[in-house]
Amino acid sequence: MSALAFTIVAVLLVGPVPALLARATWPMRAPRAAVVLWQAIAVAAVLSAFSAGIAIASRLLVPGPDGRPTATIAGEIAQLGWPLWLTYLAVLALTLLIGARLVIAALRVAITTRRRRAHHRMLVDLLGISHDSVGARACPPAAQRRRHHWWPNDLRVLEVAQPLAYCLPGVRSRVVVSKGALNTLSDTEVTAILTHEFAHLRARHDLVLEAFTAAHAAFPRLVRSASALDAVRLLIELLADDAAVRAAGPTPLARALVACAAGPTPSGALAAGGPTTVLRVRRLSGRPNSLTLSVAAYLAAAAVLVLPTVALAVPWLTELHRLFLA
Amino acid sequence: MAKLTHLGELERAVMDHLWSAPEPQTVRQVHDALSARRDLAYTTVMTVLQRLAKKNLVLQHRDDRAHRYAPVHGRDELVAGLMVDALDQVADSGGRHAALVNFVERVGADEADALRQALAELEAKHRIFPTAGGPTAN
Repeated sequence: MSALAFTIVAVLLVGPVPALLARATWPMRAPRAAVVLWQAIAVAAVLSAFSAGIAIASRLLVPGPDGRPTATIAGEIAQLGWPLWLTYLAVLALTLLIGARLVIAALRVAITTRRRRAHHRMLVDLLGISHDSVGARACPPAAQRRRHHWWPNDLRVLEVAQPLAYCLPGVRSRVVVSKGALNTLSDTEVTAILTHEFAHLRARHDLVLEAFTAAHAAFPRLVRSASALDAVRLLIELLADDAAVRAAGPTPLARALVACAAGPTPSGALAAGGPTTVLRVRRLSGRPNSLTLSVAAYLAAAAVLVLPTVALAVPWLTELHRLFLA
Repeated sequence: MAKLTHLGELERAVMDHLWSAPEPQTVRQVHDALSARRDLAYTTVMTVLQRLAKKNLVLQHRDDRAHRYAPVHGRDELVAGLMVDALDQVADSGGRHAALVNFVERVGADEADALRQALAELEAKHRIFPTAGGPTAN
């Protein structure tokens, strides 16, 4: 019975729940809580999928007449009959396969990401103009005082005419801005950009993104995990935007966003942005973040994690306990 | 850590010299150029050049008497490569690897218009209610 319940929960958490959440607009007004909710759903989905697989597979190892588990998986063929035994075995194999895929995908994403990042950082350090010559002018004195602990070491300026900015997360993180951005944007707008980027680095948003990228890579056919990745990608941008608004105000941030997004694209690079950029700018003139929505989302996240665990795992664990200790 | 930054600075100085030089340079030539401004051992320059060769940034030409080093790519070429790497990574939907996080993605012409319109609305709103804006620096 618990196997069925686990399966239903897993299917819900993989299918309709992410689809609904990805289409909802309220997360725009509670981005932090929404990120937590996404993570809770992802963890709960993986846990219930595994629990379902293992609960079904545990029928392969049931207590024998003496109360001890049967010694081998093949020992239950006579009891269950071939069709059911093969089904259970297939479920067990599928569970192990999904687990292996997840682990492999996570490792592959982690390795590829870090290698690409290290290469990029090496070149940025080599080509970036030293912060001493531009740092003092680029950052307004007030912002410089406020953030002097990160300011000098991690910033690199590239000799590029187009306004652009990005960050390389990690232990040896970098914020990269183009000379074009520093030349064409006002001091407050540059402050908005830098605050945005350093918010990403400080909160390690890249780790959240990496986890969802790995999940996406592990299950490429599930279109829904792509919607999860896109949703989380937008939400962490909103979180960094909020930090920038607190430091520089909404209008400078919006001007910087438009300047960097709608400016000419450096040759060889593609225009990759979608409607999310427009959403981000519109959000700045929309209603502010809502505490009620945040609290509701946090409660939902806790429920998604705790309720299935209590309702499903505890009886199942009790069963398991009886199986091995009886 | 201080040593690493120092080494990074040296690599930049060596590359800058190689980029500005008209022809492949010997270790001696690089050392002469760099030690004019700082106290530098010949072997240090050699190590840095070997490191750069290992990173595939400089190429070693075998001459009759000495090794000569030349940059593999021009400076502008490397910067352009960085830009492609930085801006294209969301586009390659096959391997969406979050190596770096862009401030904002580049948009096409249609979305650029929508963006400017959204910005105009925001600016109009803040002209009417100037206090609604956040703190302004300076």
